[in-house]
Amino acid sequence: MPPRWSFLRRWEGLLLILLIVIVAYNALNTPGYLTVNNWVNLFQLSIEKIIVALIMTFIIINAEIDLSVASVMGLSACLTGFLYAGGAPMAGALAAGLLAGIIAGLFNSFWISAVGLPSLVVTLSGLIMYRGLAYVLLEDRSIGNFPAWFNQLGQQPLLGPFPLAMLIFFVLLLFAIIILHYSGFGRYIYVIGNSKDVARYAGVRVQRTKMLLFVASSTIAALAGLLYAARLGAVRGDMATGFELDIITMVLLGGVSIFGGSGSLWGVLLSVLIILNLRNGMGLANLSGHVQTGVIGVLLILSVLAPNLFASFRASWSRRRARSQESNNA
Amino acid sequence: MRKTNIVILSMLLIFSMLLAACAPAVAPAPAAPAADATEPAATEPAAAEATGEGVPMVLMPKFLGILVFDQAYQGALEAHKELGNPAELQFLGPTPENSVAGQIEILTNATTQGVKAIMISNNAGDQIAPAAKAAREAGMTVVTWDSPIPSAEGEQVFVAQVDFNETGKVMADMARNILGEDGGKFAVLSASPDAANQNAWIAALQETLKDPAYANLELLDIVYGNDQSEDSYNQALALVDKYPDMELIMAPTTVGIAAAAKAMQDEGLCDQVKVSGLGLPAEMVEFTLNGCAPQFALWSFVDLGYLSYYVAYKLATGELQGVEGETFEAGRMGTYTIEKDPTRDAGLRVLMGPFTVYDASNVEAASK
Repeated sequence: MPPRWSFLRRWEGLLLILLIVIVAYNALNTPGYLTVNNWVNLFQLSIEKIIVALIMTFIIINAEIDLSVASVMGLSACLTGFLYAGGAPMAGALAAGLLAGIIAGLFNSFWISAVGLPSLVVTLSGLIMYRGLAYVLLEDRSIGNFPAWFNQLGQQPLLGPFPLAMLIFFVLLLFAIIILHYSGFGRYIYVIGNSKDVARYAGVRVQRTKMLLFVASSTIAALAGLLYAARLGAVRGDMATGFELDIITMVLLGGVSIFGGSGSLWGVLLSVLIILNLRNGMGLANLSGHVQTGVIGVLLILSVLAPNLFASFRASWSRRRARSQESNNA
Repeated sequence: MRKTNIVILSMLLIFSMLLAACAPAVAPAPAAPAADATEPAATEPAAAEATGEGVPMVLMPKFLGILVFDQAYQGALEAHKELGNPAELQFLGPTPENSVAGQIEILTNATTQGVKAIMISNNAGDQIAPAAKAAREAGMTVVTWDSPIPSAEGEQVFVAQVDFNETGKVMADMARNILGEDGGKFAVLSASPDAANQNAWIAALQETLKDPAYANLELLDIVYGNDQSEDSYNQALALVDKYPDMELIMAPTTVGIAAAAKAMQDEGLCDQVKVSGLGLPAEMVEFTLNGCAPQFALWSFVDLGYLSYYVAYKLATGELQGVEGETFEAGRMGTYTIEKDPTRDAGLRVLMGPFTVYDASNVEAASK
């Protein structure tokens, strides 16, 4: 293979080919797929998840996990709704919702980076606790009737055909790529993900990096929760329940190792596009939700299997070559 | 080097097979309307001519895998054939764990697909309202059934199964029938303490009991089984221990009534304590025939799907405008009127009603 095409051998190359196949298939078979409206819808229906997937990429590359993101989304949206219904001005209520995200992030990162507990355990407790708080605030109520400007931001295009949330996603994506792939801080994240001890001996501030990441994760989750509230025009205690699994699926399918240390935002971006287009195509083809979940599950299994298959194929091939050389020598 | 290429190729092959697996399901979608366009159009030329290509419609349940929603689809299909709509009727629902986001996604995709009318059993509260409004702006007819959009925004008409006040009277009447003229003591086994519809029905029951005609019925207690079979089973047995003179358990939930009847049957208590409430014939048939639950009630979900289809179809074809006071014919079910919905601040409804009361004489037929 000429070097220009060598990226095709990487995971991202496979994802790119898969994406092209899916887009081409949808375009040929599904009327209404190739319209600006549908493409905006396709992003908008999952926009909050893919915003959080960006920061989740950082966390997983850093060999950690944040299971509490969806609950933080729910909590910030519910707190905002609760305060607004109680008579607070909308801007203040939104600020409080964001602040709740920052506090949740500080709380998570205290236990993870200062005390040294595993992030799986800490954020699992967070998942339960923040969701519980959201239910305490709203019980079984649904709060709506937000100011028109708020609903407008969530539901109407802001610039050209793009609503606010989509613009935020693209800006965050740009920042994330620069930070992760073109900055020293980004290198530290990979180094820590490969080996915490090596990083510490090399003088990387492991604790501070982790703290920053978990605060950023909860803050962005809170922002996503508020965008979700604006898009739906009403909040409820069960908002965004279960989103954390979809978000982690996007990141893992993007080729980010669950053990940390490897992966890229390019891969995650491709996997996001694959999942959105696949879901959209299946939805427009009227496949049931169960089939959609199944197909994405198979994709995820393949994404875990494929790198291992590569490795074992390569290993057995080089063994065989070594053996044949031995027999030749004999 | 060549080996790696083979691995890549095989991965691609797997992916393309995956896509191919979706293919058969994809193909019929655009093809089907054309395929059966000719035949039904001949039987009902008026409807087909008025709408040209027919009215593509979607019936959306709260989520998939629930018997009563499948029954509603049967009813809608029946109306679909009767009206000779040459376009397709789709039954699309989200998975239970993805109900809210899934309902919004299906509604949004329906707008892209050019669906002309959608019937929603709303499980997303007011959160579905923006998507419903967007669908309305795109020219789609939006009707809710079984469960409305609370604010009524984006919704044209709600097809209500029964009047909530009537539920109370039906339950009180069944209690009187089972306990006899001299009356007796009974308890209510409900779903969760937060379930809005159950609470409204129990309140209506308590209101009905104030009527002197029901003076000899005494409500001992209200307990909650959270719509979990095991919880409800244990709560029913606890009631028996707590109130030795209790003669009836009234459960306004299909889960609770079946669990309570099972508990009484397992413990051999059916002679002393009867069970009644709102139940599904298919789940209750054995208990009704062996006397543990001699009477229970429910509305017909087949009829609800049938009526919803008529309402949505007539709105989509312009036969109905969706304003208060309009009257229309709904096939075998007769005449209905669009009225203001008294249970919400805003919104219009078509009230289906009435309850069907099931006993040993009709439960077997309904359970099939």
